[in-house]
Amino acid sequence: MTSVIETQELGKRYRRLWALADCTLSIPAGHVVGLVGPNGAGKTTLLNLAVGLLAPTTGTIQVLGGPPPAKPAQLARVGFLAQDAPVYAGLTVAEHLKLGARLNPGWDAEFARRRTDWLGLDPGQKAGKLSGGQRAQLALTLAIGKRPDLLILDEPVASLDPLARREFLEDLMEAIAEGELSVVLSSHLMADLERVCDYLVVLVGSRVRVAGPVDELLATHHLLTGPRRDPATLPAGQEVISASHTDRQSTLLVRTSDPILDPAWTVSGVGLEDMVLAYMRQAAGGGRRRDQLEVHR
Amino acid sequence: MTWLTWRQFRPQAVTSVVALAVFAILLAATGPHLAGMYASSGVASCHGGGCQPLAGNFLTTVSGGYTVVFMLGMAGVLLAPALIGVFWGAPLLSREFETGTYRMAWTQSITRARWMASKLALPGLAAIAVTEGLSLMYGWWAAPIGQAARLASGSNFPLGMSPFSLLAFDAHGVVPIGYAAFGFTLGVTAGVLIRRAVPAMAVTLLIFAAVQFVVPLAIRPNLFPPEHASQPLTANFSGVQSQGPGRRFALALDYLDSQPGAWIYSSRAVNAAGQPVSIMPAACAHPPNGDSMPCMASHGFAVAVTYQPTSRYWPIQWTETGIYLGLAVILAGFCYWRLGRRLP
Repeated sequence: MTSVIETQELGKRYRRLWALADCTLSIPAGHVVGLVGPNGAGKTTLLNLAVGLLAPTTGTIQVLGGPPPAKPAQLARVGFLAQDAPVYAGLTVAEHLKLGARLNPGWDAEFARRRTDWLGLDPGQKAGKLSGGQRAQLALTLAIGKRPDLLILDEPVASLDPLARREFLEDLMEAIAEGELSVVLSSHLMADLERVCDYLVVLVGSRVRVAGPVDELLATHHLLTGPRRDPATLPAGQEVISASHTDRQSTLLVRTSDPILDPAWTVSGVGLEDMVLAYMRQAAGGGRRRDQLEVHR
Repeated sequence: MTWLTWRQFRPQAVTSVVALAVFAILLAATGPHLAGMYASSGVASCHGGGCQPLAGNFLTTVSGGYTVVFMLGMAGVLLAPALIGVFWGAPLLSREFETGTYRMAWTQSITRARWMASKLALPGLAAIAVTEGLSLMYGWWAAPIGQAARLASGSNFPLGMSPFSLLAFDAHGVVPIGYAAFGFTLGVTAGVLIRRAVPAMAVTLLIFAAVQFVVPLAIRPNLFPPEHASQPLTANFSGVQSQGPGRRFALALDYLDSQPGAWIYSSRAVNAAGQPVSIMPAACAHPPNGDSMPCMASHGFAVAVTYQPTSRYWPIQWTETGIYLGLAVILAGFCYWRLGRRLP
């Protein structure tokens, strides 16, 4: 499996503050990859490093098998929608498309025009007068219009209302369905990505907590409910992600590729959102403390 | 990329074309009449000692509205580089950082170096063209006044500015090119370092004003070593003379008969041996007709003048322009390096 983004002990420091530290990950090609993590996990820094806006302080990063884009040929292969979808407020929609055409040799003018028409964007409208959702759509049109091999979207829906979020993501799926495009999109909310991505990377504190195809993650994570029990007594091969206990009952989120054989457990599936939250809580160390409090009660 | 730079620069380009047009109309409406007055004043065809009173006459007749245009025009030429630095240079890149659009621009299929080159080249060349355009128009308009001012001495008339005087030197010749290039790149640099438009604009204005204050006063006089001359004392001494108690006296010149328009650094009375003197000989203290100059001249006294000859006008202009252009190149190179290597 080839990687679109591969990092080795990647780090980026702003003055004294490490925005990303010791990050090693590999994002495979041919997927719509959700990069999820809480605020401050280093998602934006990682993506800015991947598109060449930033230079790493330590470690290495490879994008599409080479260094992050710096030359025109490499830049053309990576499309980027930056956080908050920046556009030139004084330029019209049509002028943004012209910008795309002038600055990208592989520009798909037909696609861009068709898409803005379909979105109902008035070509003569100044971009500064567009709504947040329309701005994001315009910026996305530019990012896809250059026909990249890899499309990177940094928090594309963060500033949109729930309806606009859904529309944007549905529309994104449609726009990328046509080509052989790898997509990486980040969010701090799993719910945003659940519908669109088929591969998940959970990043907390610069570390990858879990990564894999969505269906595989769903197949290997189980919610076990049963009589109260110390999680340490579980068989080898069952990794406990989170545990909560009442006086008589334990609820465990377990990762394992083996079948659960113990008849004491009631086994149920787990939603992506709960799974991601469990990993985030585990990384934050908050879950353990709450368990202890409950045990001593 | 040129298209994008042009599109982003269009509002400023329109503003500057309008400003140039207004300036041109103002000067074209008044210039021919001024030139006509100069032609009929006889200054153009005068010889030797007759020139000084003719030039003085011309300068006193040119007054009122012409004074206003003269001042306005000079202010326009002098302020243009500062305004360009503040309103073109400082926002050029800081606006991109402030609104985040640099992230869009830098992820299109062109290199950051090309983007920078285009962003700097078009407005930078326009800055030079606009400023030098203003200066040339103004130079054409003010040429009669400049000619007369060079010949007239000690005129208190506001238009009596010699080519080397502080403001006149800055508004003419080629130095506006250097000021414009420097002002623009200074603004760009402030924008790159501060990344916010309004503070960058303020810093640009402060630094530019400081440089424009320091260079004429501290650097320009030292570009070429001055020359020395001695002007004999004559009856009706035309310079500044003052007398104190006990035969103390002082003399100063702001004009050299042999070098009309020369830049006088300093002048003072000296004796026959060339040493500075400040006490009048007793014999000269009470001259019969009240003018002690012929008496002092007979004692070998003269006025020693340190000055820059008029022939140095263009060497100083070019040298100063070169310094400012050099600074502009250094600043532009710094922006290039800063954005190319050390990223936001």
